[in-house]
Amino acid sequence: MATAVVSQPRSTASQTESYVDNKRKDDIRQGNIKSACAVADAVRTSLGPKGMDKMISTASGDVIITNDGATILNKMEVLQPAAKMLVELSKSQDSAAGDGTTTVVVIAGALLKRCLSLLSHGIHPTVISDSLHRASIKAVDVLTAMAVPVELSDRDSLIKSASTSLNSKVVSQYSTLLAPLAVDAVLSVVDPAKPEMVDLRDIKIVKKLGGTVDDTETVKGLVFDKKASHAGGGPTRVENAKIAMIQFQISPPKTDIEQSIVVSDYTQMDRILKEERNYILGMIKKIKATGCNVLLIQKSILRDAVTDLSLHYLAKAKIMVIKDVERDEIEFITKTLNCLPIANIEHFRAEKLGYADLVEEVSLGEGKIVKLTGIKDMGRTTTVLVRGSNHLVLDEAERSLHDALCVVRCLVNKRFLIAGGGAPEIELSRQLGAWAKVLHGMEGYCVRSFAEALEVIPYTLAENAGLNPIAIVTELRNRHAQGETNAGINVRKGQITNILEENVVQPLLVSTSAITLATECVRMILKIDDIVTVR
Amino acid sequence: MAINRIFKDEASEEKGERARMASFVGAMAIADLVKTTLGPKGMDKILQSTGRGREVTVTNDGATILKSLHIDNPAAKVLVDISKVQDDEVGDGTTSVVVLAGELLREAEKLVAAKIHPMTIISGYRMAAECARDALLVKVMDNKLDAEKFKSDLMKIAMTTLSSKILSQDKEHFAQLAVDAVMRLKGSTNLESIQIIKKPGGSLKDSFLDEGFILDKKIGIGQPKRIENAKILVANTAMDTDKVKIYGARVRVDSMSKVAEIEGAEKEKMREKVQKIIGHGINCFVNRQLIYNFPEELFADAGILAIEHADFDGIERLALVTGGDIASTFDNPESVKLGHCKIIEEIMIGEDKLIHFSGVAMGQACTIVLRGASHHVLDEAERSLHDALCVLSQTVNDSRVLLGGGWPEMVMAKEVDELARKTPGKKSHAIEAFSRALIAIPTTIADNAGLDSADLIAKLRAEHHKEGCTAGIDVISGTVGDMAERGICEAFKVKQAVLLSATEAAEMILRVDEIITCAPRRREDRM
Repeated sequence: MATAVVSQPRSTASQTESYVDNKRKDDIRQGNIKSACAVADAVRTSLGPKGMDKMISTASGDVIITNDGATILNKMEVLQPAAKMLVELSKSQDSAAGDGTTTVVVIAGALLKRCLSLLSHGIHPTVISDSLHRASIKAVDVLTAMAVPVELSDRDSLIKSASTSLNSKVVSQYSTLLAPLAVDAVLSVVDPAKPEMVDLRDIKIVKKLGGTVDDTETVKGLVFDKKASHAGGGPTRVENAKIAMIQFQISPPKTDIEQSIVVSDYTQMDRILKEERNYILGMIKKIKATGCNVLLIQKSILRDAVTDLSLHYLAKAKIMVIKDVERDEIEFITKTLNCLPIANIEHFRAEKLGYADLVEEVSLGEGKIVKLTGIKDMGRTTTVLVRGSNHLVLDEAERSLHDALCVVRCLVNKRFLIAGGGAPEIELSRQLGAWAKVLHGMEGYCVRSFAEALEVIPYTLAENAGLNPIAIVTELRNRHAQGETNAGINVRKGQITNILEENVVQPLLVSTSAITLATECVRMILKIDDIVTVR
Repeated sequence: MAINRIFKDEASEEKGERARMASFVGAMAIADLVKTTLGPKGMDKILQSTGRGREVTVTNDGATILKSLHIDNPAAKVLVDISKVQDDEVGDGTTSVVVLAGELLREAEKLVAAKIHPMTIISGYRMAAECARDALLVKVMDNKLDAEKFKSDLMKIAMTTLSSKILSQDKEHFAQLAVDAVMRLKGSTNLESIQIIKKPGGSLKDSFLDEGFILDKKIGIGQPKRIENAKILVANTAMDTDKVKIYGARVRVDSMSKVAEIEGAEKEKMREKVQKIIGHGINCFVNRQLIYNFPEELFADAGILAIEHADFDGIERLALVTGGDIASTFDNPESVKLGHCKIIEEIMIGEDKLIHFSGVAMGQACTIVLRGASHHVLDEAERSLHDALCVLSQTVNDSRVLLGGGWPEMVMAKEVDELARKTPGKKSHAIEAFSRALIAIPTTIADNAGLDSADLIAKLRAEHHKEGCTAGIDVISGTVGDMAERGICEAFKVKQAVLLSATEAAEMILRVDEIITCAPRRREDRM
């Protein structure tokens, strides 16, 4: 197939060759840009606090309702290579800043559209690409100049920026609850020794169906989305718990080498049953001897982690059992409980246990969860229990919370805030436009185009909010020209106000990374002149 | 279907003129395909995989493009091969070599049409190549003795190489990275000790060079997160269970307690193994295979940092840089060479935790951490950086340097032209053709930049008729400029390899007068 593409068109006469070639390149570039723009258009309407959600029905029949650009694009399964790059772009924004995944794609789309018209004027793609790069560096400078420094102790500012992020989500009406929650969660895992680092993996989000988003809470301790094992009628509430995290199994022995027990008559059968019982009893006695009264058992694929028999004995020994703990959760658990995992019964010693004031099974809605609270020497971790009335809300709440957490993390990494509501974009557009006039030649022309392209953000914000975009954007431009650098669109009031006073703020990192990532991606798409099919 | 009929059906043979035609066309098609990627304003290509996942690669690297093509034409395959060889030998110039070979063949096609025997063309090409090489040798600059100048040469070469790649915007930054990394190697061309780690997020500018070694793994639970003066044992051994590999081995027992005993014995074996490993006096253990919970706990108890499931590449490099051996048996602690390093600690890049080994035994080792917007960017950045590193490490050994920007081609073309005038007979046509093919490279560079190539090349040629001229094409301003002033340099070794292998490839294809295609092996699932 590919050979046909490679060897067939060029075999014709050499005179017209270059002409034919160039035409094909233009086609491919245009095709790329157009399909990338199509992707950007698809997510455009979900931008901003009054942006709409998308319903995605996946191949497996699941339905997802979301407002999160990264999630939408991720599920879209695009095939066109350039469109795929936009999907990648939103993923990178997700990993770099966590928020602004829609913004970055919309900006890239707008830039590409401008590039298309520049290309049609016969400007060489590399010239466009270079000026784009210079413009993006300048843009970052402008943004940094606009930013306001923020202290981590300034909880209000942090909450404000988290709620800006949450306002555009399905769960916006809960932003007063979720924003402080996100801020506290992040602040509680910041290690004073390394204040720049936040590992979001230290925050565990547990989703539980039932209740409403209002019931979402942070738990000082651990939450397992499982029931305690009831098979043997064991305890479901333990005070002054000594917790052991075990990685071995309490079940009849199984060797790695294949084995079989030969039973020749029925008296032996009795003996074997008895032995099995003794074996398990022996293990449980050892466990009991250390004073342990809560067991967390790692999931095992090789053999049953616990059997009915062992559960029965454990229940008799008044040991609470939580089974099927995933292996990747172990690190989080041990960090939180400040205990060590135990991989062999021989190593079962009291110093490896963790302590908690209360371990309790709680009924929540239909299901049950196990809460561990009052942990002694708790590590720097936090658990957030998210509730929601149905799966769709629950999932979206989790995504929104993740975005909010990321926003707070961005602020911890780079402690600057910037106004939201389209203010930075319009200011960028204004300043870049002014800068373009100073530049010479093609560059100035290109930069001016990009400056105009950035107006897409306020334009779309206004459009999605049902306002008149042209009136709003022109007024906004006017206000900025008069020096009100923080004037932005107040979507709620439907007019232009000083957006900093309205408490609509976002981390600087989100804006700068959106600009730099979008330009990097656009430049890459511009430079492509051919699609070759390969193995 | 009878077997002999399949052979008759699918095997084919092409002769004489047709065969030559087919190979010319194939080779030129390949050359034209990569032609647009040449030079600082060259374009990229999307490589779309037809395989599963339909992965997308964006690249500017000739070797990468050619490597991944489906090719049927035998002559085209020859070109792909020379590009690969160029990649292995010198790392850069993979596109130039193909373009030059393609141009040589294009010229040859015209000569053949003018009834000149391929053999005459070949001998003409040979003379021309020889003469061109000599011309370069005369003009070459060597600053090996002057360390300061040499370093600036390296910088220039790195910048020139990178300017045609995705990294062009931050080329100073990356040129510095590459030069620093190569200078650490102290003359060895073993690029193994330069490790490149790609982490999405951030921008290309955030990439940095780090002395030491970074392993993209996690430290086991409950183990020390920081070790000073580490003694490292690198191993490739099963730490899950020592399986009996004899097929069908099984034990028969008659009671449960026996099973427990066997299980105990297995545990004991593992404990012994761990004890032996600990017996090496180490405080860090890196294994290629999984480490199960049980041994992990034993290591944690002994205060040893154990890293499981390191990839092959990772442990080989780790063994190399820390100066240790990869062990798989632990019976003789004295015969195993341990690796050493000053500090092992956990660091965070972007969102991920990695393990950083600093102060390693092999001082040359270093790691370049690349950051970028997406996987496409990172992959391409890695390829570009790899090219630059290759060229630099070659240049450290062979410090001869030429100017860039089409300057060497013009110098060669001029000399070859002179030779053509002096040579009697039909050969002189071939030599002349060679000179035209050489000029095609600066022409392509100019074309790709959207400049008027005919005008520029004419000016350039006029400039080159003056003695000691340093003019080349300045793509940025779109004029003929002084290459020495603009600091555009290339390694002599690269140019020489381009010249020689392109000539050789062209020769090889010219000699062909018959193509025999064997019947393909049948595959069930095809069509």
